[in-house]
Parts: sequence; C-alpha cells; structure tokens
Amino acid sequence: MESNPILVVGGGPAGLEAARGAGELGYPVLVVEKTPVLGGSPILAPYAALTPDMEDAETAMKRVIDAVEADPLVELRTGTTVTAAEGELPELSVTLAGPDGEEVVKVGAVILCTGFQHFDPGRETQMYGYYEYDDVITLVDIERMLKDERVVRPSTGEPPKRLCFVQCVGSRDRQIGNEWCSKVCCGIACKEAIEIKELLPSCQVFVFYIDMRMYGFWEDQIYWKAQEEHKVQFIRGIVTEITKRGDEVVIKGEDTTMGRPVEVAMDVVVLSVGMEPSDGSREMAEIFGLPLESHGFIETIDGPLNTVSTSKPGFYAAGAAVGPADLEDSISMAGAAVMKAAGFLRKQLVGA
Amino acid sequence: MSLPIIGAAGPPKKAKDRIFDRGDRMPATYYKDQLLDLEAKGELIVHRITEENDPVEVDTKYGRKKIIPRQNTWHHKSCGQCGHIPGYSTSIFWLHRALDYRYEDPRDQTSCTAWNYYASSTSNPAAQAAVALRNFAQAYEDGFYPIIHCGTSYGHYKEVREELLHHQKLRDQTRRVLDKLGKPMVFPEEVVHYSEWIHVMRDQIAARQVRDFSGITATVHPACHYHKLVVEDAVYDKELYDGQRTAIVSALVKALGAEVADYSTWHDCCGFGFRHILVSRDFSRSFATIRKIERMKEEADPDVTLTHDTGCVTTLDKSQFAAQAHGRNVGIPVMSDAQFAALAMGAHPYKICQLHWHGVDMRPLMELMGIDHRKAWTEFEETSKAIKSGEQDFLAWEDC
Repeated sequence: MESNPILVVGGGPAGLEAARGAGELGYPVLVVEKTPVLGGSPILAPYAALTPDMEDAETAMKRVIDAVEADPLVELRTGTTVTAAEGELPELSVTLAGPDGEEVVKVGAVILCTGFQHFDPGRETQMYGYYEYDDVITLVDIERMLKDERVVRPSTGEPPKRLCFVQCVGSRDRQIGNEWCSKVCCGIACKEAIEIKELLPSCQVFVFYIDMRMYGFWEDQIYWKAQEEHKVQFIRGIVTEITKRGDEVVIKGEDTTMGRPVEVAMDVVVLSVGMEPSDGSREMAEIFGLPLESHGFIETIDGPLNTVSTSKPGFYAAGAAVGPADLEDSISMAGAAVMKAAGFLRKQLVGA
Repeated sequence: MSLPIIGAAGPPKKAKDRIFDRGDRMPATYYKDQLLDLEAKGELIVHRITEENDPVEVDTKYGRKKIIPRQNTWHHKSCGQCGHIPGYSTSIFWLHRALDYRYEDPRDQTSCTAWNYYASSTSNPAAQAAVALRNFAQAYEDGFYPIIHCGTSYGHYKEVREELLHHQKLRDQTRRVLDKLGKPMVFPEEVVHYSEWIHVMRDQIAARQVRDFSGITATVHPACHYHKLVVEDAVYDKELYDGQRTAIVSALVKALGAEVADYSTWHDCCGFGFRHILVSRDFSRSFATIRKIERMKEEADPDVTLTHDTGCVTTLDKSQFAAQAHGRNVGIPVMSDAQFAALAMGAHPYKICQLHWHGVDMRPLMELMGIDHRKAWTEFEETSKAIKSGEQDFLAWEDC
C-alpha cells in the first residue's frame, strides 16, 4: 500500500505516539514540530518526573523519541510550521515553513497533536501577584527547580521552610472564561509536593484546594501517599489574595472546612496553573478549517465513544489539543487517532 | 501569546523579569454585545458615549477597552458623600469647573438603595432595577452621560445590568415601573465611576498643579465595589503594579508627583462591609483601624491615605477617632482622590475640600502641601460669619 504520509502536527507525547503507531502499522508519517526539539511540554518546560509513576521525564520521553527516530517511515521536521493547506485529503497540499524555507507537501490524513499551553497567572481573577512577587511561582517553575534537584525561594536562593500550592489557577473560573477542570493539576501538585518533601524533609508543604480531583489510581499512588507518607497538609478553601509583608508572601483565603478566614505567611507560593487551548491548536484549526468547541479546543464530533474524529473526514486530533488531558489520555488518544487515520487511508486506497 | 515560562532547569525568573502579555485571550461573554442585542430587539435603548462626550479609552483587567466620557456628564451623587464628606463631591465639581468640563448636577436623582441591599435588609430586584433605570433615563433625557460618584451605586448598577441582561421577567417588571413614570428604558453602554474621570484627567490635573506634592507619601485603598465587584469594568494599567492591580487612584498620585507606598492589606476591605457598619459597627471600626490604618502606619508610614469611595473615606477616617477611646491613636489623614487632586490644583482646603469635616487632624498634611491652614481657616470663618449674619445667603463658587 502506498499513500501520501499522515501529517502529524506537534512533536509532543501525543504526536510522537501517533508517529510511532503509524510507523508500526506501515504508514509513512511526517511529523511537524514548531520548536527545535521533540518531546513537547515534558521537555520544553522541562518537567522533572512524570505523573504518577515519577519516572524521569527526559528518560521516558527519550525512549519515545528514539523509537520514532529509528523508524524509516517517520520523517521528522523540527523548527517547522504549517502555514497553509489547499485541496482535499488524501491529496491535500500543505505548505511547510522551516529552517530551509517553504515547501509544499502532499498528505493523506492529518492528526493534530498541538497540545495545550499553561494558563498565564497574570490573567487570574484572584489577586495572586505572580508578576509582583519573586516567591509566587507556577507549577512549571517548581518543576524546573525539581529538575535541577534544588528548590529555593527565588527571592533569597535559600530553601523554603513553608511552601504551599494554590489549586485551580485559571481553571473552573467563569469570570475569566475558563469553564473547565484541567484534570492534571491536582495530581501534579501532589507529585511535586512529594518531590519537595523528599528534597527538603523539614519544609512544611500545604495544598489549598477547592476539591482534589484524583482520577483512578492517582488517589492512592500520589494523593494518599502525599498525605500519609510525606505529611503534606491539604486545606480545603481557595486562596483569594497574595500580598507581601516584610520578606514573606502572605496568602489570604477561606478555610471552608473550618468556616473561617485564613491568613498565612509562606516562603514560596506555587500557583497550579491549568491548561488552555494552545495558540498552535487555534492556528491549525484556522488553516484546516476545523471548528473549535465552545471552550476553544479542537472539536471532536462523536462523543465519548470516539474522542479523536473531527467534523472533516481524514482529520483527527489527540491529546490536549481537544481538551485537558493527562499523559495516559494523550497516548491513548494518539493510538486511536492513528487507527482512524489508517482506516481512512485504507478506504481511500482500496475504495472500500 | 507565548508560554509564561519556557527554559532550562533551575530557579525561575525574578518578578521584575516576568513580562505579562494578555494577548488576545478574552472572556467568552461580553455584556455590551448582549446589551446591543436587546436594543436591536427593541427592548431598551443603549445610551452611547459619543464624540460630544470627549471620550478616552482605558485598559481593563481582562483586556477590553473601557470608554470614559470627559465632557457633558450627569453626576449621580452619593448619599453618604453629601452627608458626611461634603468636600468630596464639591471637589469633584470644582475640578470640572476648573478644567472647564461641562456637567449636570441634577436635583432629581434617586438614591440607589444599594447600601441596604448589600446589608441584606431591603428591597427586591425589580425595585432595585427600576431605581437604577430611572436615574439612567433621567440622564438620557437631560442629554448628559451618567457618571457615578458612589462606589456602592457603581457596583450595584453593574449587578443590576447582569440581572437585566439575563432575566426577561425582570426586564418586563422594570419596564412596567418605568412606563408608569413615563420614562424610557435606557442603559448606558458603560457604567462609569467618577474616579475613572479623574484617572483619565490626571495629566491635565498635573499640568494645572500649583502645589508641590513631591514630599508626600500616600497609601491607596481601592474600593471593593470598584475593583472586586464586576471586576471586568475596573481600570488597569500595565505601567502600574504590572497590570495586576487596579490603577485607579494610584495613577493620579504618581501623576501629581507624590509617592505611592504599598502595604500588605492593600486588597482588604476598609471595614465598612455594608452589613457590618450597620449591625456590627465595632467590627468595622476594629477592622479599619487594626487591619488597615495600623498596617499602613507600620509598613509604609504614609502622610495620607487616599481612596475613592464614600464608605471607605468615612470608615477609614472616623474609625480612627473611635479607636482613640482604646488608646490607639494612629492619625493618618484620609481623603478622596478628588480632594487630593483639587488641593494639588489650588482648591481652598476648607471652602472647597472641607477638610474640617474629617476626623483626623489634616494640618500636618496641609503644611507638607505648602498650605497656610491658619490663613485658610480665617478665610473660612469670615465667610461663615457673613452667612450667619445674613450678609451672604450661601457659599457660591465665586467665593471660593
């Protein structure tokens, strides 16, 4: 069987898994990644360890990248973007802009794995002062320090004695228009809390939450583990303001279990920023004429029994391009998208 | 918009190196579209800000541009302001006159009734909406654009807007009331607070400044009903607080050459709290003194505290007097942005700004401002004597 390649847009976990799957099925694949590196957010951020199994992110992603790079059916283009599309699948002409200039290629099917971007806490409704205070940071910032195995107060360079996470920053918030749960932040906060306690056993770590959303095995793998083995303290209630008093940042909010206001000084506050549709998803939706769903992610059409098909035959999307997704979701969806794309191409070739 | 942070492992950037870029991300719903839809359906009239209002655009927290009218404004006054701090509204009008901006000071404005609404003690949605819309209709019929002196009314009218936009039944009920009054159903395209007018006029005010404020340190208290209630309408400026807190009042202080000092309870309520000031006044007094005034003194030691709402000025000021009974004598002068701006432009401290109504001694601050308060008080007393003797009926603008 010969066909035009399956175009995979995005070289993160979902995109790499889609490429690996297509190669294993014997279909040629063209992976286009706009940054100079493969691996997506786990590598770009960079993450220290993956949730929930704590495997080193670089090691895990390298395994996938190596598999893709070793497959002769997979062509990888980094530093490259899709700038235009013309015609119809399976003979769609796609313009690529890369380090060597522009090139038009024909593709047989398209899988969009354009991922997410982290919510910018500057847009938060609550007054968190991310752009005002050195010691107010994000999940991504702390991940970078964990990657370095050195967690410090950014203002002093000293290890923190009291650190807290604030959940649902940029998620579940009608005022800013983000009316979704980002699914992974609770788990990642627990994972990071455990890692911090392992590095700094004397540091008191708190998590302020609306409700902890620990799907499936994350409940005992990281949530209970954080509480029972590492003594992370979970306080139900949203933090509404962060200010500075002397050298400390002060968080204010409500402890909804105790029904009273809280005001606590911290050395470091970590904002658990959620997921938003990526600029890449919006751009690709525009170029390929694919509708976005009401939250701004790429729309899939068949409900829970088909999570990857878009409204246009031959176009599929996987991972956080279609909504908040953890790694397990992203990898599973990538497999499903490859299966659908292969089916689409086979029907085109054999006329079934 | 790029990711907030992408980079190698290691400590994060310092706050000063983090660059906030809102990009084009906006909330999905926008009230003005809904308002215009209702107008298209014939349900109401949207009172537009036109070129005759000499409008200026300002930034808001969520990226939309808010339009502030400068000319031909209809002044919706504040009950507590007129009753407790008369120099507040007088200063607003004095600024308009001094800067040659036309305004209407209506005599038929209705009280918004929102204080009791926020204190959980009165009224119903249709009555509340009818009061708001009667005032807006009056402004529309008078040919001026409404501008609200009171933070309570300002916040409440935006809540009324949300209720009206979402409830057909409420619109119908309100329309029946307005029909009985013979008024059209009008809603302004922007609900504008007077402090926004001062904000956009700050450079003109600074250009007419005659008193040197460079030696003055001010703390700012932003009114909750201005920046916490219907957040998307408050004015922000990326040059102030990195665009993370409302720029209102603070931008004026900077424009006038004074220093803005920060303190850790900046976001806290002044203590007024609506319900608290009515039914738990001791709590209000304690909160204002201990959580706000004493924190400011301890952390910033300001010469004055500036705010932009009736309840905030009265609570922060009068509570200091009440606290003296407990030996707490902090003594930070409290006034509105309007009074501060008027003083900068040379307004009389007693005839216009009426600082003698304030509880805290203003004389040390006046000396810092270069005001001869003894002479000013003598002038005020002479005018008062003339009124008392019947030689003069009242204090006119020309006497100030």
